[in-house]
Amino acid sequence: MTIERGAAAEVAQMAGPAALPRRNGELVFEAPWQGRAFGMALGVVQRLGIPWREFQQRLIAEIGARPGAPYYDCWLAALERLVVERGVTSLAEVAAAQRRVRHDSS
Amino acid sequence: MSAPEDDRDHHHPAPMSDVEVRARALEELLREKGLVDEGFIDAVVSAYANDIGPMNGARVVARAWVDAEYKKRLLADATAAIAELGYGGPQGEHMVVVENTPTVHNVVVCTLCSCYPWPVLGLPPRWYKSAAYRSRMVREPRVLLREMGLDLPESVEIRVWDSSAEIRYLVLPERPAGTEGLDAEALASRLTRDAMIGTARP
Repeated sequence: MTIERGAAAEVAQMAGPAALPRRNGELVFEAPWQGRAFGMALGVVQRLGIPWREFQQRLIAEIGARPGAPYYDCWLAALERLVVERGVTSLAEVAAAQRRVRHDSS
Repeated sequence: MSAPEDDRDHHHPAPMSDVEVRARALEELLREKGLVDEGFIDAVVSAYANDIGPMNGARVVARAWVDAEYKKRLLADATAAIAELGYGGPQGEHMVVVENTPTVHNVVVCTLCSCYPWPVLGLPPRWYKSAAYRSRMVREPRVLLREMGLDLPESVEIRVWDSSAEIRYLVLPERPAGTEGLDAEALASRLTRDAMIGTARP
């Protein structure tokens, strides 16, 4: 799976509240999971063949609904919402996967 | 068991936060469903470092090559001309474009840190931030450029531009010979990041 350049440029150019956090131009990931979440969203959008704005709109909605929440927390929530609403998975499946991860790590 | 936390810590020194659990769970689900594969995520992050940004700069340069009026605007007010194509934002706000000619070659450096026009060039390459590049490009540009693979004749004057938080430079290379028949999109695909920093020619 390779990256579609057109879509990727669209991601890089997002403005307003959805603009990617940067420091001196470089993307900033404060923890490894944030980078994973970033890559996941691009992969999902590309694989589903949907416009980037479908994700972007959900991201903006999450940011708007949770003032002050960290950017990538909103990003992850937007991605969860996208895959559930697109029928890729269900809330029940997501919850079960979370229980599994929590169990495996404790 | 007097200290269950200690026991748990032995295996998992940093318990996962809720958001980490959610991220890991989602990734596992998406992998099961074949929507993301191993390696793709890393590839995305590193692609942002290398590919995505320079494409914007390449479109700017290619447009200037095919459109003389645009080139005039670009050299007069780069920030505005670049914004015409939809690029800009923080750190791309004060752009200056410097034009290569048969007798002048321009190259960009940031001697203080690593100021870089990322909206048009993406993330700076690792060497751009190195102390060696930052000092030697000022002291001995001809030697350093040769080491980097660009051997310029003595007759070509080298101008070194020091980027800062206020001004960021982009090099407008000369259009390569034999590209008369190409349109802007084809020309853009020939451009490299290094050509627009000035350490290479297209």
